[in-house]
Amino acid sequence: MTDVYDRSERFELLAACDGETLAGLADGVLDCGTRLRVLQEPTPRLVMQRVVEPVEKRRFNLGEVVVTAAEVELDGEKGFAMVPGKEERAALSGAILDAAVAAGHDLTDRIAGELRAAAAERDGRRRRRWAESRATAVEFEAMEDEG
Amino acid sequence: MGYVAVKAGEEVIRRAEELFEKRRVEEGAADLDLDQIGGQLGRLTAQAMSEGGLYAPRLAALAVKQAQGDAAEAAFLLRAYRSTLERWGDSVPAEPDEMFATRRVSPAFKDVPGGQILGATKDYTQRLLDFDLADGGEPTDPTADWDLEDEEPRTLRNVIDVLRAEGLVEEPREDPDAESEDDEPYDTTRRPVLFPAPRSAVLQELARGETGAITALGYSALRGYGRIHPTLAEVRIGELPVEIEHPYTGEAVEVTSVEVTEFEGVVPAYETRDDPRFAFGYGLVFGRNERKAIGMTMLDASIQLDGDEPAEDAEFVLDVIDGIDSFGFVEHLKLPHYVTFGSILDRIRSIRERKRGTGAAGDESGDGGGGDDEGGEVDGGDGDDSDDGGDGDDAAAAEVSAGD
Repeated sequence: MTDVYDRSERFELLAACDGETLAGLADGVLDCGTRLRVLQEPTPRLVMQRVVEPVEKRRFNLGEVVVTAAEVELDGEKGFAMVPGKEERAALSGAILDAAVAAGHDLTDRIAGELRAAAAERDGRRRRRWAESRATAVEFEAMEDEG
Repeated sequence: MGYVAVKAGEEVIRRAEELFEKRRVEEGAADLDLDQIGGQLGRLTAQAMSEGGLYAPRLAALAVKQAQGDAAEAAFLLRAYRSTLERWGDSVPAEPDEMFATRRVSPAFKDVPGGQILGATKDYTQRLLDFDLADGGEPTDPTADWDLEDEEPRTLRNVIDVLRAEGLVEEPREDPDAESEDDEPYDTTRRPVLFPAPRSAVLQELARGETGAITALGYSALRGYGRIHPTLAEVRIGELPVEIEHPYTGEAVEVTSVEVTEFEGVVPAYETRDDPRFAFGYGLVFGRNERKAIGMTMLDASIQLDGDEPAEDAEFVLDVIDGIDSFGFVEHLKLPHYVTFGSILDRIRSIRERKRGTGAAGDESGDGGGGDDEGGEVDGGDGDDSDDGGDGDDAAAAEVSAGD
């Protein structure tokens, strides 16, 4: 998940990035005088999380997750983003950045660098959490009856 | 019995609400921000999300703050908010094996593949008040000096797969009416639950059930009102990816992940099957809520027995476990019932009048009374002719409850 130029991987990078970073980058894009058209206003929506239970391998609906999605057109190129939570500004910013990279905007390299840095930070936090958990690995011993 | 609207002063109602809000701020303590609630009261926000059927950590923290820590009220607020949102669609079905687990233990298998990882838990320590926490001060990280190995996170193999590989798992019985793997899962948020309910509906309702109700009904099976006493094959806490189909590429892409608690219960089926194997119960809930997930596991296993005990009766279980339903219905009793109660009072007074009249006539005829069929509805009567309404209150309250 590091190829900013791949639409699907870019989606995941944008979704995992914090809202402030996205908004700062999107402001930079808009400051360059690009033409923006909002195709889908950033609106909180629901995604029903489906899970395959492992016993009978049947799907069921675990519950809904709040996300915010937005879609824009920037200099004729479409952009789409979806972020977790009720985060209208982050979603709109993400959609702008998605379109900007697709359009080969002048700030593409900077956007790519920031998104990769955010992803690396997230991976680092994840590795740390895994390492903390591994530090609590235990081998239980069954106690024999000594009597 | 229907409801009758009542009117009251709008200003007074507003004042009552303001007084409720004042209770939150009157001690002069610093206002809790949402990060503090989400971080330090994470179990509470997790419970609200689980019972609300809505994963939104920041909104859950807001709901807990607004509800002043009442988990059921917070779950209600989340469901009310949810009802204002459109659905984007369904996620790509997540396999539990995809979970990034930070806690995984198997009470059933000592040497489980992947190892036993206790994770963050106080399961093995005493429940004693920690008075140091009362002093406040700058929080310190007790793991700060841990010497940690840098390792790529791994997923852990599901224990059921281990048993399945040995042929020890009870495969689902052939039932032409049962759901198949290809069927769309039943969505209880959009369709009423009808019985017999498909397994997907049972699991969805259990997953959004109220923690106390799930625990109590699961416990009932352990206490002898059921036949399930499972061994837990696996306990996992971790993050499950939420993936959608990208509208441009059509590929599965991850939007976020949800923290979940998962349990698998092993139930020996040698008493009810020709070929002794294991049957299973499954529990999966939003957030960290091990108590509820264990209860769900027991109820899932119990319901599959389709027996006569309360925990084995899907209709009974699913009718009573939803927290919003139950607390709404129970708490509505404190709202005005003046008209319905008034009509019941009138009825009771009328019956008592008639009884007095019948009694008088009976005295004259030597009948002794008791010929009025409606006499039983007034709690059998107590011979008290006083008109204080005391006994009638109890009878009337019961009829309001039943009639509603």
